[in-house]
Amino acid sequence: MLVDAFARSLSPMVITDARAPDNPITWVNDAFLGLTGFATDELLGRNCRMLQGPGTDPAEVARIHAAIEAGEPVTAELLNYRKDGTPYWSAMTVTPVHDEAGLAYFYAAQADMTHTREREVTMRVTNDELERLVAARTHDLSAALEQKTALLHEVDHRVKNNLQVISSLMLLKARRTPEGEARDALQGMAERIGALSTAHRMLYSEGDCTHFNLGDFASEFLSDVNAGLDHEKQRVEAEVEPIAVAAAMAAPLALLIHELTANALRHAFPNAREGRVSITARRTQSGMQLTIRDDGVGLAAAPPNPAGFGRNLVEMVVRQLRGTIAWADAGPGTYVAIDIPLLSPT
Amino acid sequence: MRDGNAGADAALRILVVEDEVLIALELECLLDDLGHVTVGIAGSSAEAIALGRSAEPDVAFVDIHLVDGPTGVEVARALASDPRITVVFMTANAKRIPDDFAGAIGVIAKPYSERVVASILDWVADRRAGRVPTHSAPDGFSFAPAL
Repeated sequence: MLVDAFARSLSPMVITDARAPDNPITWVNDAFLGLTGFATDELLGRNCRMLQGPGTDPAEVARIHAAIEAGEPVTAELLNYRKDGTPYWSAMTVTPVHDEAGLAYFYAAQADMTHTREREVTMRVTNDELERLVAARTHDLSAALEQKTALLHEVDHRVKNNLQVISSLMLLKARRTPEGEARDALQGMAERIGALSTAHRMLYSEGDCTHFNLGDFASEFLSDVNAGLDHEKQRVEAEVEPIAVAAAMAAPLALLIHELTANALRHAFPNAREGRVSITARRTQSGMQLTIRDDGVGLAAAPPNPAGFGRNLVEMVVRQLRGTIAWADAGPGTYVAIDIPLLSPT
Repeated sequence: MRDGNAGADAALRILVVEDEVLIALELECLLDDLGHVTVGIAGSSAEAIALGRSAEPDVAFVDIHLVDGPTGVEVARALASDPRITVVFMTANAKRIPDDFAGAIGVIAKPYSERVVASILDWVADRRAGRVPTHSAPDGFSFAPAL
């Protein structure tokens, strides 16, 4: 009954005689005949190595052989050949069978693994191809990034150089202009460009070019302004929190601080009057507040300024920043407070 | 400039290596205001190295990008090999400066302010006169790591 079940099994099976010389085949089932393409009489009495061919892995054969010699069960996967010479992948378990006298037979059940193997090979090829594509794409992207980074550096370099050229142009022209309104205007412009330059330099010197630290700007701006003042008479001080603002706000804020400070220095201290200007900036609930206070002659006492470019500029910039500005006589001096909304707390 | 403190003893002879004529010209005026002497303006590396030998500068301001390309680094190296010359980079392209600064003492970042140029020259003058420089590095200036 068991033999009948084996004979009808769809799994190819073979039994060899362990006691006969060279371990010959003594029984095969129909499934084995179907797999190999041989007839029963072509197989009986012969060793299983008849199924091996040029693609069979000798190391795997040696491993099976060693197990058989030792009388131990073994599982293996071997490339075998049909009668017509076509190869197939055979996964087999070889089990030694004992009777009273000892080792009598080897029983081998097999499975055709050809399709599995083919799938594996296809998968491997597909994987290799995918990996190659990913590597190529990564390479392209890295190259593109490198190119863009180089371009960014180049543009940054040109902007800085051009700011320097513009500033030099203004100052050269100012030097060649007789003292007076025109010269002051040119110098004033050069100073505005200087403030913008400082903002630009700070924006791109750090790794993060999306934010601008107002505190850093203020300290550098302060040094530049104070370098041009007679320390005995006038002084600019600042108390600016290290507020990080969006990069787009850097230039308007730099201009704003410059303009208000320059305005105070220009108008608050006539006739070499002594005094100081203090700048503060702090975070508020909705954004930031910037204040500029001087202890000079005050708004009402300052001579009327028909051009009023500085003040105009300030109000335009405040509008651009969607802020509000209040000018007040602080008695003594002038007090300007600007509230600017900041989009996200940073 | 108003706070330039270059007295007669501190007047420095300065070589300007800069291919942008307007910048070079303005810088020359500024140096003059500060009481220093511009001994030459060079736009190319060959000119710069030749002037370094013939004009006996105390200080050389060197841009990285010159007429003949990013040759400012080798100019700095050549000039700094003369122990009498103090080399300062003055560039918008500080990323190109090698780790050893090619012998330069530091870099003034463009766009620079007049104050930075003035304080660096004060610092150099102090050091050359054997005084301990009283000025710390101003914003917009970075010392070479070796200093």
